[in-house]
Amino acid sequence: MIKSIKVVLLTLVSMAFVATAYADFTFVSWGGAYTMSQQKGYIDTWGPVKNGSTKVSVENYNGGLGEVKAQVEAGNVTWDVVDVLPVDVINGCDEGLLEEIDTSGWQKSPDGTSFNDSIVENGTGASGPISECAVPQIFWTYVIIFDPKNFSGKKPTTMKDFFDVKKFPGKRGVHTWPQAVLEMALVADGVEPTKVNSVLQGDGGTDRAFAKLEDLKGHVVHWSAGAQPLELVSSGEVVMSIVYNGRAGAAILSEGASLDYVWEGQVLDADWVGIPKGSKNKAEAIEFLKHATTCASQAEQAKYITYMPMRQCGTDIIAKNEPWFHTGIDVLPHMPDTEERLKKSVFTDPVWWADHNAELKEQWSAWMAGNK
Amino acid sequence: MALPTYTTTGQRIGYYTYLFYCGLVFFFLIAPIFMIVPLSFNQSPFFGFTPEMLRLEPEAFSLRWYRQMLGICRPDDIITTVCTNKWMIGTKNSFIIGLSATFLATALGTTAALGLSRPHMPFKAAVMALLISPMIVPLIITAAGIFFFYAKFGLVGTYTGLILAHTALGTPFVVITVTATLTGFDTNLIRASQSLGAGTMKTFFKVVMPLILPGVISGALFAFITSFDEVVVVLFLGSVEQQTIPRQMWSGIRQEISPVILCMATCLVALSITLLTAVELLRRRSERLRGIKLR
Amino acid sequence: MSEIITTEGVPLKVSLKRAERINKIRALVLVLPLTLFIIITFVIPIIAMLTRSIDDKQINTVLPKTFEIYKQWDRKQLPSEEMYATIFNEIMTADKRAIGKASTRMNYSKSGWKSLIKKSKRKFKKIKEGPYKEKMIAIDKKWGKIEYWKAIGEMVDPYTFGYFLNAVDLKYDSNKKIVQQPEKRRIYNYTWYKTLKISVLVTLFCLILGYPISYLLATLPLKYSNLLMIFVLLPFWTSLLVRTVSWIIILMRKGVFNSILVWAGIIADENRMQLIYNETGTLIAMTQILLPFMVLPLYSVMKTIPPSYMRAALNLGAHPMHAFYRIYMPQTVPGISAGGLLVFVLAIGYFITPELVGGADGQLIGHWIAYHLKSTLNWGLCAALGTILLVVMLTLYWAYNKIVGIENIKLG
Repeated sequence: MIKSIKVVLLTLVSMAFVATAYADFTFVSWGGAYTMSQQKGYIDTWGPVKNGSTKVSVENYNGGLGEVKAQVEAGNVTWDVVDVLPVDVINGCDEGLLEEIDTSGWQKSPDGTSFNDSIVENGTGASGPISECAVPQIFWTYVIIFDPKNFSGKKPTTMKDFFDVKKFPGKRGVHTWPQAVLEMALVADGVEPTKVNSVLQGDGGTDRAFAKLEDLKGHVVHWSAGAQPLELVSSGEVVMSIVYNGRAGAAILSEGASLDYVWEGQVLDADWVGIPKGSKNKAEAIEFLKHATTCASQAEQAKYITYMPMRQCGTDIIAKNEPWFHTGIDVLPHMPDTEERLKKSVFTDPVWWADHNAELKEQWSAWMAGNK
Repeated sequence: MALPTYTTTGQRIGYYTYLFYCGLVFFFLIAPIFMIVPLSFNQSPFFGFTPEMLRLEPEAFSLRWYRQMLGICRPDDIITTVCTNKWMIGTKNSFIIGLSATFLATALGTTAALGLSRPHMPFKAAVMALLISPMIVPLIITAAGIFFFYAKFGLVGTYTGLILAHTALGTPFVVITVTATLTGFDTNLIRASQSLGAGTMKTFFKVVMPLILPGVISGALFAFITSFDEVVVVLFLGSVEQQTIPRQMWSGIRQEISPVILCMATCLVALSITLLTAVELLRRRSERLRGIKLR
Repeated sequence: MSEIITTEGVPLKVSLKRAERINKIRALVLVLPLTLFIIITFVIPIIAMLTRSIDDKQINTVLPKTFEIYKQWDRKQLPSEEMYATIFNEIMTADKRAIGKASTRMNYSKSGWKSLIKKSKRKFKKIKEGPYKEKMIAIDKKWGKIEYWKAIGEMVDPYTFGYFLNAVDLKYDSNKKIVQQPEKRRIYNYTWYKTLKISVLVTLFCLILGYPISYLLATLPLKYSNLLMIFVLLPFWTSLLVRTVSWIIILMRKGVFNSILVWAGIIADENRMQLIYNETGTLIAMTQILLPFMVLPLYSVMKTIPPSYMRAALNLGAHPMHAFYRIYMPQTVPGISAGGLLVFVLAIGYFITPELVGGADGQLIGHWIAYHLKSTLNWGLCAALGTILLVVMLTLYWAYNKIVGIENIKLG
């Protein structure tokens, strides 16, 4: 018996040594179809990866800066590139958790527009990167989807319809955090999409949004993970749901799901990429990001997911080469940024949300608690 | 268990209702575990029994999700699932962390249990309470506390950090099972051995160890399953390199529900059956060795 | 009375004492490594976390002079030019990272500070000399709003109970008086209530389901009970996530349970029940997951109760129900309390299952601890919530130890 234990122990020790070999470059993102689009769009196409000199290990996380903060404070940074939301970009840059990246001299657009200027609108009403600590990734949007098969007569077309449970009876799928919901409520309350931010941030703005949300009380099923709303809609648990448009796009384009969008009142948000402060592979990470943000990479990514390139030049490539999606389908109809759609959308304001996130999350949770 | 002949009809009905109720509870306990097994062989990417499956048509079943779990991908697999070997990496990590933590927990826990069972141990109750505290403090608090503290020493996102944390979580089980084995341990055996000229170490390995070994091993198995199953600490403390199986399942459920999770779950059920059997056999052996009659 | 002397010439009393001391030391030496290990890797981290819940030093090191002057401010009208000048200088000279952290801290007491400091740090460069007050207000009118100034009042001291107050929906006002949070932000008391409610319900359900089967297991002949015991032990050994996944699949709208009901004609296809992503789902899944923790202690207690007691009661003419209630039940109380405590304590700190199957109802206290740890980085509040939970827990254990004894916890 003792002999066999010795054998087991020896095996254990030897296994522990095998374990130390891991990838030399770490890219952290959200997982699922989105990460796959990044993998195929610009990781697999990157020179050092193609010729095998570098291995990029792709990992998932659930957002937030907790891990980055812990790594930076401990002086042991194991992430090299991380995909972050605007709020986290701003906070992370303020607190010195992300490296500043100098993008002057990065790839210009074919028409000569500089790298920064090729981001026409970053969500704050200005152009260029949102912060010195991030380079462009994609715009994505919170949009309403529904299954047309569940509507025999009229189908929902506006945000008002989403909030009108008399006209379209049935449950609504809504996420468990307040971003985008408040903006949508104001659109449904009759605020022009372009004016939503100023109304929301003005006096009584949030109260007005919460007042409008009362219309939905008792008619909401909450979801907390990106895969859930599609399940909710396809299983009939809800008749309409807020969803990340990329999830819906993937379901429609790749799996042929029966879904349709309500674009009016969509709330656009963004994803940026940054480098955690003190990354051991900073130089390499910057070279990688230069490749990841080229017009071609930006467009290539849209072959696999319906999130729109942040740089205009990426969108231009797609428009010229439709059908662009990898299954041979036009992808622009599923993109949130056609000119006509943008007129009726809200850009969520990351600076304001960075200030009010915690407070409104509490208020929103109180609202959810009363929503029985 | 037959009812005595004098029971009334009322009592009979009562008794059978009771048995039926117990049957339902047992079903409630076990059904969820076995439900996932057939579903993991589903051909379609949905989490339900398709009509074809219910008709037991062979085309309705496939090993495609197991293939994906092993990281073997074919072009015809749906494009939306990323084909990775993350489950294999997770398995490797789970075993590295689990086995290392088990080894440490068993060594530390057994030694401590030997001390605790000595009749002269001072402050026994207080020490015992301290030693089993990792088992009773809610995981979320443990995880948060360990996260803040280990962050100061650069242990967040390292194997060392996770192994230390899981060792702490596993030791109470070893202490409890080994102490239990030692109660009723006949100390005359030690004296006999020593009076026959054996040294302390020899006595321990030749006399004590064989007798308490079943307890030590089942303690080790408890410690292993604790680490193998643990996700909250991994969630807070583990970085990208230390993704374990439960951690992958957690993000799988939240982000891309795919039937591959069911395959992993089926494997875990098989593992738990194995471990359960092992512990059960060990317990019986221990009782036999200690001369306790089988219940 | 002569003393008994050992062969070595030492009085027996002394010799025995020495032997006992050596034995004590031996025992301690064996226990020491694990004790140290647990203290270092487990106890100290938790105590360190507790101190975080009252620590407010960081901000005081960034704006020390401002807070000096702040103490003299009357809090009725806008602060003096002096205060404006001081905070201006301290913001300008502070390290970027430190001021970022400070602004995050200030934002906890009044949303808006974060962007105000950030924006100001950039725009202050234009201001070369005083008077600062007007120039600062010109840059951002928030500088002219008294509520922002009032809000930093709670940060004057290096140690604060503010996080604990936040954790129960209270806060300090600018004069460090304790007041309630505005009604729309009150969520923590509700969360505590919900956490307690779910824990109590789960404990109750476990008892209702667990008691009868424990009794059956304890009274059946061994060959049957050993077989049935597998039904309890296997779930105990099966991964928590596996069981959570199964419940999601079973309870989904198109899941197994609803489908069976539809197939059996009990409900119509369009009336499938909403069983998951709400409280029902949380309760069902948690009950099943924690049930073994109720059954195992109950079983081990019931096993020790001699069946002769019940027989004696029946012989003496007691009705079976009466005999059960008066004779059997009281003897199982230690089992009920052990199982109840175990289940309750596990349930109150649960995080994974409610988060996955609870939807909006899954936001129990564990959710907020994780949220502040990972998302808002408000580690003070996170620690305060954790501390309260821990105190509740320890009180329960203390009570349990008084009544039953902690070493009576048994496994399997």
